[in-house]
Amino acid sequence: MEKKEIVIILIIIAMCLITPVINAESTINDNTKNQLRIADKTGDWGYPNPYLAYARGPGYMRMHFIFDTLVWKNETTQYIPLLAEKWEYLSDEDAYVFHLNKNAKWHDMEPLTAEDVVFTIEYMKEHPYGWVILDSVDRGEVLDEHTVKIHMSSPYAPFMEDIGGSMPILPEHIWKDVENPMDFTDETAFIGSGPYTYVDFSKEHGTYQYEAFGEYYLGKPIIDKLIYVKTGDPQMTLQRGEADFTSIKSDFVEQIKEDGFVVIKGPHYWNKKLMINHNIEPLDNIIFRQALAHAINQDEFVDKSLRGHGKPASYGLISSESVWISPNVPDYPYDPDKAIELITSLGYELKDGVFTKNGKTLELQILVSMISTGGEGTPDRDGEIIMNQLEKVGIKVDLTSLDTKIVDTKVINWDFDLAISGHGAIGGDPKILHEKTLQVPGVKPNPNCARYNKSEELNKLLDDVMHEMDPEKRKEAVFEAQNVYARELPAISIYYPTWYNAYDPDTGVEWFETIGGVSKGIPIPQNKLALIGSSAAKEGKEITDVTSIPVENETQGSPLMPFLAVIALLLAFMAIRIKR
Amino acid sequence: MKSKKKTKVITVYLVTIFILLLLTFFLPRLLPGDVIIAMYGGQEMLITDELYNELIALHGLDKPLIEQFLIYITQLAHGDLGYSYIYHASITDLILDALPWTLLLVVGSLTLSSIAGIILGVESSWRRGGRFDRSLLMFMLLIDGIPALALGIMSLTIFSLYCGWFPTSGAVTPYSNAVGITYIIDILWHLTLPLAALTLSQIPGDYLMIRNSMLLIIREPFVLTAYAKGIKERRIKYLHAARNAILPFFTRIGIRVVCIITGVLFIETIFAYPGLGLLTYEAISNRDLPLMQGIFTISVLLVLVINILIDISYKKIDPRVEYA
Repeated sequence: MEKKEIVIILIIIAMCLITPVINAESTINDNTKNQLRIADKTGDWGYPNPYLAYARGPGYMRMHFIFDTLVWKNETTQYIPLLAEKWEYLSDEDAYVFHLNKNAKWHDMEPLTAEDVVFTIEYMKEHPYGWVILDSVDRGEVLDEHTVKIHMSSPYAPFMEDIGGSMPILPEHIWKDVENPMDFTDETAFIGSGPYTYVDFSKEHGTYQYEAFGEYYLGKPIIDKLIYVKTGDPQMTLQRGEADFTSIKSDFVEQIKEDGFVVIKGPHYWNKKLMINHNIEPLDNIIFRQALAHAINQDEFVDKSLRGHGKPASYGLISSESVWISPNVPDYPYDPDKAIELITSLGYELKDGVFTKNGKTLELQILVSMISTGGEGTPDRDGEIIMNQLEKVGIKVDLTSLDTKIVDTKVINWDFDLAISGHGAIGGDPKILHEKTLQVPGVKPNPNCARYNKSEELNKLLDDVMHEMDPEKRKEAVFEAQNVYARELPAISIYYPTWYNAYDPDTGVEWFETIGGVSKGIPIPQNKLALIGSSAAKEGKEITDVTSIPVENETQGSPLMPFLAVIALLLAFMAIRIKR
Repeated sequence: MKSKKKTKVITVYLVTIFILLLLTFFLPRLLPGDVIIAMYGGQEMLITDELYNELIALHGLDKPLIEQFLIYITQLAHGDLGYSYIYHASITDLILDALPWTLLLVVGSLTLSSIAGIILGVESSWRRGGRFDRSLLMFMLLIDGIPALALGIMSLTIFSLYCGWFPTSGAVTPYSNAVGITYIIDILWHLTLPLAALTLSQIPGDYLMIRNSMLLIIREPFVLTAYAKGIKERRIKYLHAARNAILPFFTRIGIRVVCIITGVLFIETIFAYPGLGLLTYEAISNRDLPLMQGIFTISVLLVLVINILIDISYKKIDPRVEYA
């Protein structure tokens, strides 16, 4: 090689090494502050503000650290104060009065007032926010600086969970000028009143960074820095120490416990269910649907499909672990003989193990697909199991496996007999019964809603579930609605899978499962209360008034520079070789 | 004569591009099911008729198909690939963010596997029938049978979980504040496993190709002549024989790029590597029509550009070829 070439190569190498150094703002690796990392597979759940976070559980969870609601939930069954210290329902006026915490501040140190709450309602009415529907709210009224009254347009029983505990309050001084919330991604779009302030979100890497808000009205959070990372295998990330909190696979629970992690066994707020086309014969007959329920062996599903990590479902849709579970939901114990007896009573004849009527065999098609929960497909053997069970009682089964979206479309178009489907939120407010049973006019059909509007009795009860404001009377209506639902079986709930999360106890945070799920029933045990300093106060520790540490802007980089450097090097070598 | 040929080549490419654009536009639209319900159905929101019509208008689905296609082409000409509904972001930006990472993997593994494939192939053919050749051939056939996906999972389990030498996922350590050389080292450290898995899956193909064409070349008289001229063996091996054996290998690069891009999809998903493959996976599983369309268009253009480059450089490598 000639001298000139060596010089060129050296210059190129020097340039690639120096460029990133010049671009860098600081070179201190800041690991001294205590931090906590949460890993998941999807990573990107949208910018953490109400309008940009994706309208799914994990998106809401990433937003809830920054934006507070009026009330909140924890591991007890009561609503607890958050921005509102006290509240009351005025039944004669059909209005709620909330007394706000006087210490509440926005992250830019402006005080949070009743004006902000009224503004949020007006703003969300003008720019609908998919997660919170405000049709039942008429208007907000400022009573004094820290008291707000919310007038309802019609009685709405799920108000506390659906609005009070779900509607993130927006700062008026920032949002009043925002015309299109979907395009608003300035730094100020992430100023909330929650325990953590926004530092960075990288769409590309699926990572989030938050910093504790020193002036938080419930005390400074115990973890200074909260980070969300994206990973291909969350459990491995936990075991390798790259994350402190992840979901884990059910088969590894024991091993993870042995490794010193704390495992949270999730509540059963998600159900696998059998959708039924109750418009066609013989599925339009209640007796036949009850026969199906007797023919289905829920335990076999739990054993074979979930390998024991789950439990049989209640037939009344509401989760058997919910505070709203009716004490006397009709049950359908596994009993093939009873099923055969019921089908025979409908005029069918059992010949060579298969039912026939008027010379036609009793054949049903079952649609199955990989149902995704939280964005991840869950392979299972449900289709084969149900086929075997139904064939045992003389029903011929045509098992058809299709793409989830196609199954959904067929179900929406009533182009099916039976279909396996599933959904969550059965542990939260019982309005789910209404949502997953009735087809409301003006709303597009949902593939896991039974659209069973033909029972007058059930319609009446579900109306009460939504609008009865007397807690005792509402509870009665909820119980009775479940009983009627289980008797008429618009769809058959089969089982609840058990989900596990694990965390590293060394971080000092004790994560817990929120009763009924966070907000509208999110079954993710990442409740922000676990991180709030008031738990330190509970133990008698004094909360020192720590002013928030100035946050450096640590954004995730792009590989462009090193990449260009590598390319430059390659080109240089090639140039030299060609010259030779 | 020459310019006529050139015009013909350009016309062929333009027609190909047009047909491919037509396909990338219409194929996602042929998927069964209501597009809006498919895209938004999984989110926890009530789709009222009002919202439905708004969404239809937002995605421009209320216009006739031909008009939609024309709008798409016009936007494309301006470098605008549309708006992704799952990411709430411009698709051009999303792809530009992801592309460097994928190129890092693709170019890296293409380079490494070519070098390794050529060297191993040449050495192996030179000692054909010997112990080295036979054992290497066996080994390569074995590796060839393992898909990139399995190689990825194996290396992840062994080197990351049990040995703890490499990180499990991502392209950089999130919020490590690393800069300068530490930052480059961090990127390389994260790159190692995915790159190794992808490269390893590519080597056998290259190796077999080079070995086979070398076996034919070695018998050619010019190799014997070179010996007679007293040229050093290493020079004959690489400058005389390998240079001729490399031609079919070079033709294959276009096809290999497509294979690598497919492989990248799996590798990036396993290692949560923020490139185009992962973006494709998210787009398909969420039925993000505009994003799928954008990625397909870019991938198609990428493959075509590579093909053009190969066509052009073919003449340089083999002066005997006048028109490829």
